[in-house]
Amino acid sequence: MITIDALKELGADTEEGLTRCMNNEAFYLRLVGIALQDANFAKLRADIEAGNLDAAFESAHALKGMLGNVSLTNVETPVVKITEALRAKDQDADYAEWLTQMETELEKLRAL
Amino acid sequence: MLKSHVKFHSTAGKRLVLIVDDEQVNRELLGFIVSSDFDVLYAASGEEAMQVLKENAQHISLVLLDLMMPGMDGFDVMRIMRNDSKYEEIPILVLTNEEKAEVESLRLGASDFIIKPFRNPEVIIARMQKAIELFEDRRIIESTEREPLTGLFIKNYFYRYAEQYDQYHSDTEMDAVALDISHFHLINEMYGRDAGDGVLRHLGAFLKDVIERTNGLACRLEADKFLAYLPCGTENYEEMFLKINEHFNSYSDINVRVRGGIYKSVDKELDIERRFDRAMQAVNQIKSDFTKSFSYYDITKHEREVYAERLISEFDTAIESRQFKVYYQPKYNVQGDEPVLTSAEALVRWNHPELGMVSPGLFIPLFEKNGLIQKLDYHIWARVAEDVRGWKERFGRSVPVSVNVSRVDLYHHDLVTYLQKILAENSLSTKEMYLEITESAYTENSDQIVYVIDLLRNKGFEIEMDDFGTGYSSLNMLADIPVDILKLDMKFVQNLRTNQKQETLVRLIMDIAKYLKMRVVAEGVEEKSQVRFLKEVGCNIIQGYYFSKPLPEEEFAQLLQRCLTVSQK
Repeated sequence: MITIDALKELGADTEEGLTRCMNNEAFYLRLVGIALQDANFAKLRADIEAGNLDAAFESAHALKGMLGNVSLTNVETPVVKITEALRAKDQDADYAEWLTQMETELEKLRAL
Repeated sequence: MLKSHVKFHSTAGKRLVLIVDDEQVNRELLGFIVSSDFDVLYAASGEEAMQVLKENAQHISLVLLDLMMPGMDGFDVMRIMRNDSKYEEIPILVLTNEEKAEVESLRLGASDFIIKPFRNPEVIIARMQKAIELFEDRRIIESTEREPLTGLFIKNYFYRYAEQYDQYHSDTEMDAVALDISHFHLINEMYGRDAGDGVLRHLGAFLKDVIERTNGLACRLEADKFLAYLPCGTENYEEMFLKINEHFNSYSDINVRVRGGIYKSVDKELDIERRFDRAMQAVNQIKSDFTKSFSYYDITKHEREVYAERLISEFDTAIESRQFKVYYQPKYNVQGDEPVLTSAEALVRWNHPELGMVSPGLFIPLFEKNGLIQKLDYHIWARVAEDVRGWKERFGRSVPVSVNVSRVDLYHHDLVTYLQKILAENSLSTKEMYLEITESAYTENSDQIVYVIDLLRNKGFEIEMDDFGTGYSSLNMLADIPVDILKLDMKFVQNLRTNQKQETLVRLIMDIAKYLKMRVVAEGVEEKSQVRFLKEVGCNIIQGYYFSKPLPEEEFAQLLQRCLTVSQK
């Protein structure tokens, strides 16, 4: 079950996330649930693998804003790296590494 | 006065806002944050946002807009909103985590930003309220400075903005343009008021296009008269008037003809209203010439002289054929609960058969210069005396009328005998015709003037000092000159910056008048608040558009009759 303590354990900044939700725990946890199902995670991998970096940037950018809002810092960190590399149109960045990192963190959260 | 935030907590209920974001998390979070203060609609894409706007535009107070969205993005939505009159006024707050996007969004008309990830909820709500307040305040201001039928400025704001424009563009040459619809009253009479309004709206819309293109200003002056102030060289007037008239011909079978007058490259030393008087004169010059749809104010000295020469040479004919019309502006006594019409001021108008209404501002200085003014004054006094007698006979009531006495009249040897003669011919007393002498005549302070005025007062005439405050009279001079009534022009008072200064000045004048045993008449009164204030300080005789504009004799007689019937009831 997703709990505040479990999220904190995995590296989410739950304090910030809760403040943003005016300390309504149930609402915050609901948003986290929605965030974890976001279609952009899968789309980001697909776009990067297809070499479609412009589309990938849009997905990464959207994820970055969204993750920041729920303060899932552990997932946000690799997403921010991907976003900035894509913004710089960096062809040689280690996207595969960051994607794996993102998905690993994601799976830990989804397993809660 | 414009504190619309008071309304936020009033019974008017919560404002409705639209949140546009493709991320469900962002939509729900923002909605959750603001839901205590606002009602919320959601859209998950630009396309959806446009649909929601289309259905609810008039209810939405604010749009919170994400910039990056698949399909139609936030920039597209802003561009559409800012170019559509239905949405252009709705404020937009941009949701962004991109600093670079901010400049572009501001350029497109965003009011402010909310940074993602969202920070302090209170800050978000405060920014939203501020954006809405600014927008609502602006709407209140705009609704008072614009005329509802055409959406163009009203006169006073137009002049003020034109002056402001000059201040910031002192190097830009400007044209003053006046437009007038021929026989507009016939359109109203033949096709009805709605058709008339339609024509006015059309001309208004046409002018809006023009000012948008040229970066100028426009207003509806009154009824069917419009003014525009345009940078020189931005508009081809021949084409413009051709287009206007073509436009009207294609728009309906009502025969509409718009005429224009242009005073090109205005002299900025000239008072702003005078510049448009010149444009209006140019319109009047072609009033009966159906071959022309516009004309320029004739700037060359030669042409001006020719025009003046024409007015002078036709003066005698004008007197004989009664082209000069006497208009009466009523004065009301407001001492009691209901204002009572007590007297009037006579004003002269020249309805020239070919030139149309020639402005008194044009022919009076001309006639003052060459002495014809004396003949005109004598003529008008005789006409006024006839009218006063006429009303007395018809309504059994005496309504004294103030007439203007020009400075040169005071030097004329038969002034007193002439006045007595016309009064006697109409069986009137000296209490039935007040004599108005402009303040500047007194400032000559010659013995002759004081002598003549004393003489008139000894014969029983009441002397009014016109335009009091606009000349140079000093207070100690006021104590020495013979005068019974001060006429205080409220327009002069209005030039003072603050209400407080205006009030102080009027109170001061009332005190001085009381001390010197003079009465005070306020003219140029346009607002209820002025009437209330004047009454409060004891100024009970009031003249101005608040009660009535100057009326032709027939209309003034009708007004008298109505007032009499009411007072008999």
